[in-house]
Amino acid sequence: MTEPQEFKINIIGERINPGFKSSKIFFDNEDIAGLQGLALKQAQAGAWYLDINIGARALTDSAFMAEVIRAIQAVVTTPLAFDFPSAQVQEVCLETYDRARAGGQMPMINSITEHRWDLMDLHKHFGPFKVIAMASERVEEGIAKGNKTADEIYRTAKRCALRLRNEYGMAMDDILIDVSVSAIIADTAGLNRSTLDAIKLIGNDPDLAGTHRMGGLTNIAQQMPKKAADGSELKHSLESAFLTLAVPYGFDTIIGTPWKRHQPLPEDNYVLKTYKNFLEQTGSNALRAVRKFYKA
Amino acid sequence: MNEQERNLVEWLADMREEEATALANRMLLEEGADPVRVLELCREAMGVVGKRFEAGEYFLPELVLAGEMLENIGAVAKPLIKKKPGEEAKKLARVLIGTVHGDLHDIGKNIVSFMLDINGFEVRDIGVDVPVKTFLDEIRDYKPHVVGLSGFLTVAFDSMKETIAAIEDANLRREFKIMIGGGQIDETVRGYTGADAFGVNAVEAVALCKNWTGDGK
Repeated sequence: MTEPQEFKINIIGERINPGFKSSKIFFDNEDIAGLQGLALKQAQAGAWYLDINIGARALTDSAFMAEVIRAIQAVVTTPLAFDFPSAQVQEVCLETYDRARAGGQMPMINSITEHRWDLMDLHKHFGPFKVIAMASERVEEGIAKGNKTADEIYRTAKRCALRLRNEYGMAMDDILIDVSVSAIIADTAGLNRSTLDAIKLIGNDPDLAGTHRMGGLTNIAQQMPKKAADGSELKHSLESAFLTLAVPYGFDTIIGTPWKRHQPLPEDNYVLKTYKNFLEQTGSNALRAVRKFYKA
Repeated sequence: MNEQERNLVEWLADMREEEATALANRMLLEEGADPVRVLELCREAMGVVGKRFEAGEYFLPELVLAGEMLENIGAVAKPLIKKKPGEEAKKLARVLIGTVHGDLHDIGKNIVSFMLDINGFEVRDIGVDVPVKTFLDEIRDYKPHVVGLSGFLTVAFDSMKETIAAIEDANLRREFKIMIGGGQIDETVRGYTGADAFGVNAVEAVALCKNWTGDGK
C-alpha cells in the first residue's frame, strides 16, 4: 500500500515564538544561536515563510527585535513574516529586513484587521509587502465586532482583499486571508463550521481568485489531550481532519510547524468522523462532542 | 455523608450528567432535601472536577459541563432556599471582569466569570473591548475586591498596561487586586502591565481570588 500524498500547502513556520515552551528558553536566555537553529530547522523542513514573534518584549526593546531578524537572515534565505499588531514594531522589522538576502522575496505583515488598518500606512514607505488580513472581525459604526457566521467572515474577507487591491495596488497573490481556525475545545458557537463554510464562499467568488486562504492550524487542538480515543496523536489528527475538509475548497496556507506534515484522512478515520459530528453541534452538545475525541 | 449524597458527588464528578441531575432533582423536589446541603455537595463535586482538571485528567469541556450541571441544579435549589428567610447563600467577594479595549475575545473571560460565580463570588462581567474609562466608572460604582483584565491578542498587553496605569492615576489601585489572563500571558506580560498576578486558566483565577479575599480553604 502506498502512503497517501501530503497536502500541497504553504507553511509559515510558527516556531520563532516564545509561546512555545521549547522556543521560550531561547528568548529567556537571549540564545541567538538557538533561535538561528530553530530558523534553520524550519527552513530545511520546507517552510515557505518564517513567522517572527518575540512576545511582549517587542514593545519595549526594538533593538532586540532587529537583532533577532538580522541573526535569522544570516542563516536562512527564507522570507520573514512579522507577527506584531503595532505599526511602530512593524516599522523596525521592515527597516531591518534584507529583501536581497531573501532572494528578492517580500516580507509579510502578520496581521491587519479592518479595525487595525493603520499598519497599511507603512505600505507607502516600506512596501511592497505581503499582508495577512484577518477576516475574523469587522468594524460596524467604528466598533470592532467578532465575526460568527460564514457570511460575515466572507464579506469581511472580500472588503479587505478588494481594498488592498484597489487602494494599494496589491496583487491578489500577495493577499492572505486568515479565516481563523478556532480551538474546538471552546467552540460552542459553531465557529469551525462557519470557517469551513466561509472557505467555500471565498473559493467560489471569482473576485477573490488568486488570494490565499489561511489560518493558524495549531489553534484547532489547543488544550486538547495528546491521545485520541482510537490511540492516535489527537492534535495531529485533528489538524489533518480540518485540512481534509478545507484544502479541497482553496485553503492553501497554514501557520504551523514545518516538520509536522499532514495527509488527507480516509472517510472512516475516527478523528475525522468525530470532527464531522462535532461540526453539526452547538452549545453544550458541542462540548459533549469534543469529549468523544478522547473518551470512547 | 450518606450513600445518596456520596452518589451525587461521585456522579457529578464523573460527568454522569443525566443520573446526577435526576438524583439532585429527586432529592430536592421529592424528598425534601435541604437545598443548601445539595449545593454544598455540588461544590464538593466541583472541587473534585477542578483537581482532575489540574491533574490533566479532565479538560475544558468537563469544567464547563460540570458547571452547567451545577447551574441547572442551582436553578432548582436556589428558589427553595429563598423560602427560608436568612438562609440565602452568601456571596464571597465582588469581582469585576472584562476584556480590555482592542480585543474581542470572550471565551476565556466567560469561563472565568462562570467559574467564579459557581464558586460563590459575585461577578460583574462588563463585556469585551472595554474602554479604560468604562473600567474606571465600573470600579467606582461596583467597588470590587478583585478586577480581572482579559485579553487574547498581543495588542491587549498595551491595553492592560494602559488600563492599570489609569487605575493608578485615579488613585484607585490600592483598593483591590488586579489579575490578568488570556492566551499568551506569562510573568513577563504581568510585569509589563503592572498587574498583581496572572492565571493561565479558570481554576487558577478562582484560586487567586480566594487567596486574596481570604476565602481560600
